[in-house]
Parts: sequence; structure tokens; C-alpha cells
Amino acid sequence: MKITYFAQAAYRQFPDDFEKKYESCVSTPYSLTTPDNVYSSFRDFMDELMLAARSGYDGVGVTEHAQSSYDMVPNPSLIASTLAYMTELEGLDVAIYPLGRSLGKSREPVRVAEEYAMVDVMSGGRLIAGFPVGLSYDASMNNGVPPINVRGRFDENLDLVLRSWSDPEPFPWNGKHSQHQSVNIWPRPLQQPRPPVYVTGIGNPRTMEMTLDRNFGFNYFGWFGYKMTGQRIFDRFWSAAEQRGLDRNPYRLAFMQIIAVAETDEQARRDYAEHIEYFFRKAIGSIPNEKLGLPGGIDINGVRALVRDPSDFGFKDKMLAATFDELVDAGCVIAGSPETVREQLADFCKSAGVGNLLAMLNFGSLPRELTMKNIRLFAEEVAPYLRDVWKDSGHQHHWWPERLGGVPLPNVTATKTGAA
Amino acid sequence: MSVATDLIQEINVEVGNGLLTMRVQKLGVGPDLVYLHPAGGLMIDPYVMSLSERFTVYAPYFPGCVPGDPYAIHKVDSLWDAVMLYQELFTKLGLQEPIAIGQSFGGMLAAEIASVFPGIFSKVVLLDPIGLWNENYPVANWIATPPPKLPELLFHDPTCAGAVAMFTFPDDLDLTVEIAAGLTWALGCTGKFVWPIPDNGLDKRLFRNTSPTLVVYGDNDKLSSPRYADDFIQHLPNAEKAIIPNCGHIPQVEQPEALAKVVDVFLAGK
Repeated sequence: MKITYFAQAAYRQFPDDFEKKYESCVSTPYSLTTPDNVYSSFRDFMDELMLAARSGYDGVGVTEHAQSSYDMVPNPSLIASTLAYMTELEGLDVAIYPLGRSLGKSREPVRVAEEYAMVDVMSGGRLIAGFPVGLSYDASMNNGVPPINVRGRFDENLDLVLRSWSDPEPFPWNGKHSQHQSVNIWPRPLQQPRPPVYVTGIGNPRTMEMTLDRNFGFNYFGWFGYKMTGQRIFDRFWSAAEQRGLDRNPYRLAFMQIIAVAETDEQARRDYAEHIEYFFRKAIGSIPNEKLGLPGGIDINGVRALVRDPSDFGFKDKMLAATFDELVDAGCVIAGSPETVREQLADFCKSAGVGNLLAMLNFGSLPRELTMKNIRLFAEEVAPYLRDVWKDSGHQHHWWPERLGGVPLPNVTATKTGAA
Repeated sequence: MSVATDLIQEINVEVGNGLLTMRVQKLGVGPDLVYLHPAGGLMIDPYVMSLSERFTVYAPYFPGCVPGDPYAIHKVDSLWDAVMLYQELFTKLGLQEPIAIGQSFGGMLAAEIASVFPGIFSKVVLLDPIGLWNENYPVANWIATPPPKLPELLFHDPTCAGAVAMFTFPDDLDLTVEIAAGLTWALGCTGKFVWPIPDNGLDKRLFRNTSPTLVVYGDNDKLSSPRYADDFIQHLPNAEKAIIPNCGHIPQVEQPEALAKVVDVFLAGK
């Protein structure tokens, strides 16, 4: 099992009644912030990422969210580039995993290819390239992409990025969404023909099928409550894999989960409960549903499926007033002593076939000291029990940088279409 | 409503040199009239039915809004593609200078077609059209409006019978699924050409439309301010306006009698 520390740069000092008055993205008034609090969010966020890199995590991961109060990272390449150099300087063999740039959002896909290539070079070949389709509000409201064009833009941009990384010759690009007289980026990634690619999705079968068809990793976020959604999503993924005659290699699958570890179950509640409630009420819970699925942004068959059965959204509609106990029960968070946490994680990862865990250990208003405690305790008391979950499965990890022990896929080749 | 659907004829027309098939609902008798539907898709509502008593109504579905053919929208890349497809459609239907009535998004589309092909319509009626932008009274983003807030946005009186009927879903789950998915997808299809701002430069083209044009707004249109009536009139060489009292964005549902009156007077005039 590969274990990545996953973090967001949240604003952590919102008033108690925030969720009654505001939404957490797009319209959130910046007047609620102070410069000191914004600065400390970033300073702590970076320090915590570096602590994780020094604590033996296999990877460090960040996401892309513009106009968002719960993750003030409009461009994760900036964070990734800092981490690439810092970890290289300290000789830390850790994967650098920006889970975005969203290619359904990007109007400059060549720039995305260039940024990721730079990060791969700066890190000496440790980049894992995350390409989500794109959050509806971020791609469409923040970046003006018509919702119905997001998927098509993603597909086209992905082809362009992959080809720009691997085509040895300059090429013209006449796309619907961008046109270039000549694409010939410098530098190109050290990892050739491409770094490992993961796509984050929320359960859309089409996205899962695409990741399987193109031999990418698939990443799922457990925020909606893994006990409510996880099994159905992962069953859907493995059933799509089976239909394609693909093996059940757990390293195809990544799972991001909020985890809170303390000395005892009771201490975990004392340390983390209020900060977990802050996250689900003031961050995720305060993203209105319509901003997650603007009309046209979800395929018409997806809309039919969601109207008929909204279960993929799990605990989402109850988050605004959620209590710690409810969040634990839904599986939105796994909290407790090291024993409690590792048993739950091992059981779920084994049953769902998860070979990559993204541990979100900073959340909501969690202050620096508690985040660092969580990072250390997880690294020392939980991670060692999970690392070998798949050791004897006979599977190789084809979705991890070769420099860090990954085994490149034999059938990944550079092609003129970029479909690798 | 329980109109005799056997009075409605469906016509499929291939356009764009085989690019896609557009579907038209045809009903009524009399001079030709095209009805261009709003962002939420085509509904043959009582107002359209009433038009069919005096006109032969041709009501095309916007590409992607035809039941069973949702991905046709991906073949239409720009608003100009759409304008050209509609002109081809009208030609292939054999329409000679029909009257055009367009509602909201359909109003914008009618205005675009009339501007690009001057004289294509004998008369044009724009019902609360979008298509212009003024920072002092920006058009609301109806596509991003949460469904529970739509009645308030669309109606002067969200409790009026027409509003309630529009947002009442049937008990049958399968039917509800189809209606909700169709409406959502239609907003996405039409939204392709008006997102994030419903301004494609129509103000620079409107002067080309020399056909007599009536610009109608509800006096309490919260989606697109009635002040846009004056903006349209300012650019149109041969236009007049009518403001419907106690009315929101959809006069044909909220004040159908008052609307019929002003439209009848306009269409009867020379």
C-alpha cells in the first residue's frame, strides 16, 4: 500500500455561524479573513506537508480549488514545485502528487503540461500527475467554461498534454478548445512517455471506464461517507475492470479519507471533533449541491441516475449540521486510537481493493500542533500496519514513479494521438 | 395539458450537410409562424396552442433538446453554427418569411437569426429576450440558480397557477426522472452559447434586422430586467415595446391574456 499525505490550505477562523450565512466557494466574502490568518494557513500547510515528507509518507498530495475558502490553492503546481525542490534538497524519496490541474477547467492545457513537466524535472522524476475532469463550480463559474463543454475540453486537453510530453517532434494542434501552431514544450517530464496519471472522480461510470481504458489510476474521495458510498463506488469500478478483462490490481485504485488519530478513542474526540465538524459544516457542507453539478456538467444519463438514486452523494445533504458522531458513523471520518483507525482502514482497503491511501490529516480548523500530532501518530502507529496489506498479492505497482519503486506499464507507449 | 397530440405533427429535417437532424413540432392552420423555445426546452403550452388556432406553428427543438438525441449538441460548436442551422431548417421547411416568436433564449436566437439574415421573418416578437448585457442591471444566471429558487426568479407571483403547474412533478418516478433530466440537459445545451455571460455581441448586429419587431417584457422580470426593452429598441430600426404589468420572465404563462392582446395588435398591424 502506498500512503500519501493529503492536505488542503483552508481558512481556519470563520465565525461559528458561517454556514448559516455563507457558501464556502465562489461567493464567500474575502472580508471575513485577516492577512495574518491567511498567512498562517499557508505557512502551516507548507510546514505540515514537509513534516509528512520527512516522516516517511510515500507521497504528498494537494488539490486545485479556485475561489474557495476551504482550499486556497488555485494552482497546485506552485505548491508541488516548492515541494519538489525542498524534498530533492533534503534527499526525501517521496512522490509529489498534485491531484489537479483540472483539464476540464484549463484554458491553457499546454501551460499545464509545462508546469507538470517542470515539477517532474525539479523532483528528479517523482511527479504523479493528477487530472480531474473538474469541479463544476471551479471549471464553469470560476473559469467561464460552459458546463456542457467541460467533459469535451477535458478529453481534448488530456490528449494534448500527453502528446506534448511524449511526441519527439513539434506538432500543430487544431482542437475545438485550443489551437497551437507548434507544440514543442521544454522541458519534458523525466518520466517517459509520461508520469503516472490519476483521475479523481465521484462515481461517474464514464470517468471510471476512461481511466481503465487508458490505464490511469482512479482516485475516489471519501468525504461523502465511505460507509455509505465507498463500497458501491468501488464495486462499480471493479465491475467495469472485469468487463474489460483487466486484473483486480489494487494499485489502480486510490482512496482519500479524512483520518484523525490520537492516543485513545476518547482523546481523538477531544482533539479533533470540533475541527472535523468545522470542515464538514463550513467547507464541504457549505458547497451548494447545484455548484457541484451545474446543468450540462453532468451527462443526461448521469442526471437520470442521480434523480432516481442520489446515494452517490452519501452524507452530503446532512453535513451542514453534522455532529462528530454522525460523521464517524457515515464514514466521513475515521477517528480514534491507532488500533481503531488501522483496523478500519485495513478492513476497508482490503475489501474494496484499494492499493493507494491518501490520508487527509489536516481538516477544517485543525491548528498546526494537532495536525502535526496527527501526521506523526499516523506515520508511526498506523502506516506501518497498512504498508504490507497487498505485499503478497503478487501485483506490481504500475501507477507509481519508477524512481520510487513503481514498475512502468509495459504497454505505455508514446503515440501520435497521445493516447497512452 | 391534455391537448389532442394527434394534431401535432413531428418533422425531422437533416441539416448541416448530414451533421445532425433537427426536429420540429408542427401544429395549427394559417400563415406560417416559428416559435423558438426558451432555455428549458420545448413545451407546447396553452399559449403556443392558442397561436395554432390562427397560424401554422413550427416549433423546432434546439439541438440536444430532442428526446432521445441529447448528444447532437456536441456537433454545434458555436452560436453561428446554430444560427446557420436554423436558417437552413426554415428553408428546407419551405417557410416564406414566417412570423417569429421567441421566448427568453429563443428570443435571443430569433433576434440573432433576424440580424444575420435580414428579412428572413416578416415580423418578430421577442418575449423577455436575453442577449444584451448591461452592468447596471445584469442578467441573472438562471443556469446556476438552485431549482427551489427558480419560481421566485421566473415569476412575479411564484404562487400563481402557471408557476405552480410548471414546477409540479408527476407522481410517477420514471416520468419525473425524464422531465428533470430533460429540463436539466436543455439548460445545459442552450447554456453552451450564453455561458457565463449571455452576450455574444448581439448589440452590434441588431440594426440589421429591419423587420417590424415587438419587444415584450414583464414589468417585474427578475431574470432579465425590463430595462432591456429600451436597449433592444435603441438598436432595432423598426421596433416597439410592450411592458406587461404584474408579470415576470414568462408572460405566456403568467399573463397569457395580456400577452395575447399586445401580440395580436402587433401582428394585425401593417
